[in-house]
Amino acid sequence: MTRVHDLGGSSDAGPIDRSQHDIEDWERLADAVTIVLDKKGVKTTDEHRRAIESLAPELYEKLGYYERWIAATELLLVEKGILTPKEIDAKATELEEI
Amino acid sequence: MAARFGPGDPVLVRAAEKPGHVRTPEYVKGKTGRVEEVLGVFEDPEILAYGGSGPPEEPLYKVSFRQIDLWEGYAGSANDALYVDIYEHWLEPAREEAR
Amino acid sequence: MSDTHYDDGQTHGHSHDGVKPSTEARYYAGRIRAIEALLVDKGVLAKEDVRRQIEYMEARTPANGARMVARAWVDPEYKILLLSDTKAAAQELGIDASGPVEFVTLENTPEVHNLVVCTLCSCYPRAILGVPPDWYKSFDYRSRAVNGPRAVMREFGLEIPEDVHVAVHDSSADVRYMVLPMRPPGTKSMGEDELAGLVTRDCLIGTSIPRSVE
Repeated sequence: MTRVHDLGGSSDAGPIDRSQHDIEDWERLADAVTIVLDKKGVKTTDEHRRAIESLAPELYEKLGYYERWIAATELLLVEKGILTPKEIDAKATELEEI
Repeated sequence: MAARFGPGDPVLVRAAEKPGHVRTPEYVKGKTGRVEEVLGVFEDPEILAYGGSGPPEEPLYKVSFRQIDLWEGYAGSANDALYVDIYEHWLEPAREEAR
Repeated sequence: MSDTHYDDGQTHGHSHDGVKPSTEARYYAGRIRAIEALLVDKGVLAKEDVRRQIEYMEARTPANGARMVARAWVDPEYKILLLSDTKAAAQELGIDASGPVEFVTLENTPEVHNLVVCTLCSCYPRAILGVPPDWYKSFDYRSRAVNGPRAVMREFGLEIPEDVHVAVHDSSADVRYMVLPMRPPGTKSMGEDELAGLVTRDCLIGTSIPRSVE
């Protein structure tokens, strides 16, 4: 059985969208935080990929590229006991209110 | 660690269904290709993905496949090839098929 | 094993390219900002680390690859270095591609045209070329580059003659690939900078070739 991320030869494919979107600040942030955590040995590229692949297939297909990265980063930080979902919720709410 | 295969060796990609993180794409499983190059030794990503680490490292191979062997109705030249980098534990020796 | 069904007008494609921000973007943007703030509070990383990493990535662009190709075109010894030790070849031009990832350069010849993809995620020689384009990371490219490379290249306006072999490389492990395109005709009198100007990002991935100057 082929997993959702294993896309080589997938029969669902169509014409390639060659447009480029302007990278948003939060995407740049997602990229940088992921790599910094890697460089600091907090999480590895292999763990990051595994975390992305573990997303529910519907979620994997629905999300944009950096959204998957953010989901994976949160998953790993929680798994490693560095952050909890509750404190991320609280901080996200706090920052939104600023 | 001595590499089990060398350039020119025909190899069969295991058709294993493995849970967890795997870097061997489904589309080459059960297919026969040829070792082009030994790329070096690396730690197994299937273990690294879960926080494991360390030896033993294993050889990583650049394996070539004929596109016409991989895809039914492939639209292109019979000489078109596809190269995938595959870890040793996914490979078995294969007989060179008569063509 | 998936079957292929392009060229019959029946492909549905994906509902989105799998890359661009989705309807969930706002939620995830909030998440990563919160994560960054918390990690800084807890001393896991510093804002300075993040700023430096953003700068590092912005400094990396396809122009790096273009310079390496142009140098290889004019200097046979550099070409040998590029093909045998891409990391060292980058270093020689002041491009810092150090790190655990390996780089390999694939040479286009009159017999072989190379195309690079990562079907499982979107691995790319970022330390040399910077971030990949959206299309490279798209579900459709990841799906079709392996089983229909000629059709994919046709969409990019590149027709590879039947007698030239197409070699697709799926970056499935720890090696990142960059293409060394052939030097186009009519460029004998061009200097290195001008030559580099002919090498676009797509030439380094394989969906384009440098245009001829006749």
